[in-house]
Amino acid sequence: MLISKNWLKDFVFLPDAFNPDELALQLSLSTVEVEKVIRQGAGLEGIVVGVIRNIEKHPQADKLWLCQVDAGDGLLPIVCGGSNLSSGMKVALGQIGARVRWHGEGDLIEIKPAVIRGIESQGMICAADEIGLGQLFPSSNEREVINLSHLKAKPGTPLSTALGLDDVVFDIDNKSLTHRSDLWGHYGIAREVAALQRKKFKALNPPPIKGGKEVSVTVSVADTKLCPRYMAVAFCGIKVAPSPEWLQRRLIAVGLRPINNIVDITNYVMLELGQPLHAFDKASLASPDGSVSIFVRRAQGGEKFVTLDNKEYELNEDAMVIASQERALGLAGIKGGAGSGVTDSTTEIVFEAATFEAANIRRTSLALSLRTDSSARFEKGLDPALPELALRRAAALLCELCPGARAISAVAEERHYTLRTEPIVVPAGFIEKKLGVHIEKKRVWDILERLGFTVEEKKGALAVSSPSWRAVKDVRIPEDVVEEVARIYGYAEIPGSLPEFTIAPPPANRLRALERRVRDILAYESGLTEVYNYSFTAPEWAEKIGLPGVHLELDNPVAKDRPLLRRSLLPGLLENVEANCHRFSRVGLFEIGRTYIAEAAGERAAPDSDELLPEQHSHAGIIYAEKNLSVPFYRVAEAIRRLGQRLGADISCQAYPSMPPGYLHPGRAAQLVAGGDIVGWVGEIHPLTAKRLGLETRTAAAEIDLAAYLAYLPERDTARYEPLGVFPAVYRDVAFVVDRRHTHRALCAAIRGFDPLVSSVELFDIYAGEGVRSGAKSLGYHIAYASPERTLTAPEVDKVHAELQKMLMAVFDAQLRT
Amino acid sequence: MRDDLYRIKQELADRLKTANDLPGWEALEAEYFSRTAGKFTNLIKKLKQLPEEERKIMGRLGNEVKDEMLSALSARRSFLEGARFARLAETEAIDVTAPFLPPLPMGHLHPTTHVQSDLEDLFTSMGFTILDGPELESEYYNFESVNIPADHPARDMQDTFYIKGHPHWVMRTHTSPVQVRALERYGVPIRAIVPGRCFRNEATDPRHEHTLYQLEGLVVDRQITFSHLKGILETVARYLYGEATQVRLRPKFYPFVEPGVNGEVTCFLCAGAGCRVCKETGWLEIFGAGMVHPNVLTAGGVDPREYQGFAFGLGLSRLVMLKYKIEDVRHLQTGDLRFLSQF
Repeated sequence: MLISKNWLKDFVFLPDAFNPDELALQLSLSTVEVEKVIRQGAGLEGIVVGVIRNIEKHPQADKLWLCQVDAGDGLLPIVCGGSNLSSGMKVALGQIGARVRWHGEGDLIEIKPAVIRGIESQGMICAADEIGLGQLFPSSNEREVINLSHLKAKPGTPLSTALGLDDVVFDIDNKSLTHRSDLWGHYGIAREVAALQRKKFKALNPPPIKGGKEVSVTVSVADTKLCPRYMAVAFCGIKVAPSPEWLQRRLIAVGLRPINNIVDITNYVMLELGQPLHAFDKASLASPDGSVSIFVRRAQGGEKFVTLDNKEYELNEDAMVIASQERALGLAGIKGGAGSGVTDSTTEIVFEAATFEAANIRRTSLALSLRTDSSARFEKGLDPALPELALRRAAALLCELCPGARAISAVAEERHYTLRTEPIVVPAGFIEKKLGVHIEKKRVWDILERLGFTVEEKKGALAVSSPSWRAVKDVRIPEDVVEEVARIYGYAEIPGSLPEFTIAPPPANRLRALERRVRDILAYESGLTEVYNYSFTAPEWAEKIGLPGVHLELDNPVAKDRPLLRRSLLPGLLENVEANCHRFSRVGLFEIGRTYIAEAAGERAAPDSDELLPEQHSHAGIIYAEKNLSVPFYRVAEAIRRLGQRLGADISCQAYPSMPPGYLHPGRAAQLVAGGDIVGWVGEIHPLTAKRLGLETRTAAAEIDLAAYLAYLPERDTARYEPLGVFPAVYRDVAFVVDRRHTHRALCAAIRGFDPLVSSVELFDIYAGEGVRSGAKSLGYHIAYASPERTLTAPEVDKVHAELQKMLMAVFDAQLRT
Repeated sequence: MRDDLYRIKQELADRLKTANDLPGWEALEAEYFSRTAGKFTNLIKKLKQLPEEERKIMGRLGNEVKDEMLSALSARRSFLEGARFARLAETEAIDVTAPFLPPLPMGHLHPTTHVQSDLEDLFTSMGFTILDGPELESEYYNFESVNIPADHPARDMQDTFYIKGHPHWVMRTHTSPVQVRALERYGVPIRAIVPGRCFRNEATDPRHEHTLYQLEGLVVDRQITFSHLKGILETVARYLYGEATQVRLRPKFYPFVEPGVNGEVTCFLCAGAGCRVCKETGWLEIFGAGMVHPNVLTAGGVDPREYQGFAFGLGLSRLVMLKYKIEDVRHLQTGDLRFLSQF
């Protein structure tokens, strides 16, 4: 929203020397965010009013003229191609040094003395676009220069002075205004400025409308909740004409195009007071007998409505319309209808000023994607007291702009609201208790009264009554009063301090702590890189992978191709590999993130409801692909094994009882088990799946449900010290070939449990392929024998070792290798 | 005998000078001290033949000479070993600037993780607990419980992802619902931060993401004031950007706080002079904050007449972008190793 300094000055005194940047900062720090301060005259330096004293054709060029221009202190020769030049005409003269935009395009160029087709030129006669005044002086062709002959200004007068372009415009961020419907006009902003600068606020008090009796205007409101107030009054004696310059100038300053005096009045009042108004051509509303009956009703479902600018909308039953007996003439609070507006031939009008329910206007405006200056204001919840002031203001302006105009009806009104009159009680000491700083009572009163509040003292407490414009939604509880005082007092004046607490340690969040340790271990121990992927997945991708289960789905995804909520971190990680593998020969990644499982129960949806949200466990996902690495499985499984060991709760691989899921390699996949429970999986991606996904490198992945794993994580470090053996260990190796179905885990357990003298078992080789019969594998173990009581002798160890080998042959059908 | 001892000592000393390698040295040692045929050993054996008196004297002298010879041997050995190491430096020289091959994988944490952990450490050091809540949230917790009733214009400001078939489920638009969940679960007094993933239904571009990270803070007790809020924000700002950093608060409407402010800090890049990053203002907006609205306390089961407190929110993704000067927020979610391996 744009706010004009000159307009503000109607309501609050601002000294000529005031610094607009300071005011902007003050507003930003206490009221609303001023995004920009625009000085109207800026850019017009060096451009003055000039008078063409003499004009003759350029001897060398058909379309150029040689003008002698009076610049106040002498004549300047100027070569110009303007199409509307004449002797005696007042023009915008760009002097040497002024900056213009050639033909309204490109960068600003400084005017320099020039010789054009052999003739000297000492400046430039400007077209509107060349000096940024296109809106003020619309031109009919691009060769037309600005004609200033209507101005009284003497030659040499700076153009900005001559045109009265002395305004400063504040560009205010609309988002900072959403809760303050009273600030959607100059009046409200001026009240804030007056409070901030501790100046007197000049309230508007236009005279009451003297109603006439010639015409009957009646209003009937179907739902008074949706339209708590509706006022209308008819005027005759209208002469539609352009508005006077002062009014046009104000509208232009804040970015509105002047149209005609009647429409301009409604816009002017809206920009001044924040209350949208509407002017109907009375003829469009009236019955044949001249009387006017206005109905405020809901639209019929499917009812068609054509706006002033001839766009057709289909309304739902929620929308509200302003209608005559026959038809809808306005979309309440949003836009007028075709055929109801003021035209050049209008002689009688009806002004409407109303209050509509904010939520309804917002819904309709959103549903129709039709946002207007009017709907933007109504949807913030307007003061129901405002229509009356606005109507009086409009009537006063009408009488000023159209001296023949007068009301021919009484002011018709439907009014069904009660303003909250009960004061807000702010207990003694409340403000200090909230802010932590003492503000003198006198200052508190001053601030509140300047903002329009009424303050009384009752038994030490403050009884604060909100003015109507703050009572609707805005200031209702003592905390709201605290904010009013604090922001005007100045947040900068409140010193920061630190609260004091007991030194009790905060409750631990074990899952968070686990997530953080997992990150550190995977990154810094296993050399994997952390990624953050979206929670959303594409159905095609999930389908290509062949993920089981029903995905939750977004109703309104922003990325239309990714509407699904992930059930697993795998799809995202696979995408990462696919995206990185052409650049890197090794891609090792992990992610810690949530998954969303519809069929499992999560947290409560509300404290008093049995409805449960989906389960949203935090998972750790790992993926690894390396060129020419034939079994990436072990790389990932090792990362997980180390993770379990570092965290203090082992995670082991266990073969799937039947087939693993289809996207995993059927011979290279395992369930991850912690504390006897399945907490995840690890496996290579099935070559067929990998092919479908465009993965050229063998890829292994794993996923652990951290919330499930946490249950098995000891609360305290369980590591235990084993005394170092006093007696030396004796080492023997064993290497053998067994059938593939015998697992390392089973073999290792059998060796370890074979004899109490076996103190450690370590796999040093595992091999299948050439040299080993098919369906079998070769394994090699280092075995340490030791006793806590004595030094073992070689024969003693050899005997046990031989028996162990026999056991392997008998139990596992092992063939020893030598 | 005496002469023999002195002679043998001198002889060894002379010959050691020409023992230029360890085998030569070892041969000399054996020649003189071998248990069976060493020259010194043999000489000492002759002691037995001497008369008692002289044997004592010569025995003492023999020991002295032996010590001197052994120490001469030892000195020469040290010298020879040193000489060998000196040559090692040439024979076994490597390029010490070359890396280990094949390279060991080096892992990296996500930049958001770095920034988040850093702030978690600051807050836990001040006694805050770290909390989280569901990312797929109910409308009740995401909106109603934090004082955003249906049709409130604030729902306009946050375009929300809804879940198909569950009209009252949303992807949380902020971490604020955890305020109410935390008050319900832990009661008061409370000091907590909530770092977490949030969602906004908006198209992505270099400055906008539909998936972003926030860090919410909540402090509620009997005497918590606005001044304390400012103090904590100043502490965070100075922790992040240095002791000279100023905090500036401006009114800002958030339904769940009253008063509500946004917090700016002096731009750490230009120290407040104005630059491109702070859009020539000298200030960077990084906080939203305020005193917890009584309705939010009530929703959390806390009596607002007895307890009061403040809440604040930091845009973690924004802090990450500022810290590392990342020009495009979308990098954070790409999984591009060229990006990730820089952190």
